[in-house]
Amino acid sequence: MISSLTRLLGCAALALLLLAGCATRPPADDPEALQEFRENNDPFEPANRIMFEVNEAIDKAVLQPIAEAYRDLLPKPIRSGIRNVLGNLRTPTILTGDLLQGNVTRARETLGRFIVNSTIGIGGIVDVGRRYDVLGHSEDMGQTLAVWGVGEGFYMFVPLLGPTTARDLTGFAIDVYTNPQSLIGQGQILDVWNYTRIGMTVVDTREALLEPFDMVRKTSLDPYATLRSAYRQRRSFEILNKDGPGGAVAPAGGVGFGQGVLEPQ
Amino acid sequence: MRPDLLSRRLVLASLVVLGATPARAQQMDINRATTFVHRAGQDLVNAINDPRLNQTQRRDKVASILRTAIDIEGTGRFILGRYVRQASPAELQDYLKLFDEIIIRNLSARFGEYRGVKFSLGRSQQRTEEDALVSTLIERPNNPTFTLDWRVAEINGQPRVVDVIAEGTSLRLTTRSEYSAVIQRNNGRVASLLDAMRGQIAQLASREGG
Repeated sequence: MISSLTRLLGCAALALLLLAGCATRPPADDPEALQEFRENNDPFEPANRIMFEVNEAIDKAVLQPIAEAYRDLLPKPIRSGIRNVLGNLRTPTILTGDLLQGNVTRARETLGRFIVNSTIGIGGIVDVGRRYDVLGHSEDMGQTLAVWGVGEGFYMFVPLLGPTTARDLTGFAIDVYTNPQSLIGQGQILDVWNYTRIGMTVVDTREALLEPFDMVRKTSLDPYATLRSAYRQRRSFEILNKDGPGGAVAPAGGVGFGQGVLEPQ
Repeated sequence: MRPDLLSRRLVLASLVVLGATPARAQQMDINRATTFVHRAGQDLVNAINDPRLNQTQRRDKVASILRTAIDIEGTGRFILGRYVRQASPAELQDYLKLFDEIIIRNLSARFGEYRGVKFSLGRSQQRTEEDALVSTLIERPNNPTFTLDWRVAEINGQPRVVDVIAEGTSLRLTTRSEYSAVIQRNNGRVASLLDAMRGQIAQLASREGG
């Protein structure tokens, strides 16, 4: 199922690139424009902008209303519990990232939080670790690749996934395929479980981004360019492990919109 | 040309270049920067939380504090980047005026919503030769705490904010990408950015009025 979907998406992406063409490289006698072109590293900008508009349309019609209803209908403690559970379920990915980056301290925190939150915290509903000032953090394969020295590669905008780069998308694919929950086996119950988890992650992430997204739409003269810049800056911040004092809950993982996922409002 | 004449010219040229460099090349003292941010931040928090002010008064008060704390012209020039030289003097003047209005409106509208806000100084660190980065923690009721870093430079002998960085995202870098994209997508015309900025101010004004 997943492979045929990937193939279909691949074909669609290729067709789009052919239709939209590539970004025009500035002439060699304009070094500043050339430098900016390299820094943006967005060779498929025309196609990416179309994808961005597609995402905007889907978002305004479906995702944003769902996220708003989710916030209105469910009280904060329940949303908080859901976010905690999703964050707890990401432990294998985060722990793998901590270990592959050689960060034993953070790996110990991740493992300790998982054990305490899964048991005393009733399956991750309550973030007990936070109460003892062991705050959660996020990791993903994209960050690990960056720590290993892999350059970020060209920029991409993928509908539903949001801004990403060649490196981060590769990392995301590795995270998805190595997630124990997609390896345990097959079966209807597992499928339902996985789809629920993915669906909840999308709704929860979008809910966390309601205000930042509104702000970008309201104040930016070019939301696409703003997101591209914010995503890159946010990623380098995450790669350097400079978590904010709020501590990330971050079920969103390897993708984001230049914004950390924190405790719900 | 005789060699000594050449070297004299070089010295003269470098003097001109040095003279033209703005005062920001001075080193920023970290304690001075921290004191400055602390005072400006406290003024802002007091204005935001002052129960005697109505919404308009609060916004005006916040705007006037921001105007004295931020190096608006320098930041505006940084954001316009290489297009500063492509813009005509009239366009540059227009741009700086529009930028001033947009940044003050956006920031006052944003900070104005932070009722009950508390702020404290985080760890401070010197970043580069020229400016200092002062880290603060912003706490609001029912909201997670977040860090806001203020980049402070010495501008004409006074400490001034030249950038605000929220959780790793710099306002001036993001805005630079935004403005540059608008100009590029309109065949490199600075005038098109000015039009877009005017449109945005009209929108902001109608929203505030409504």
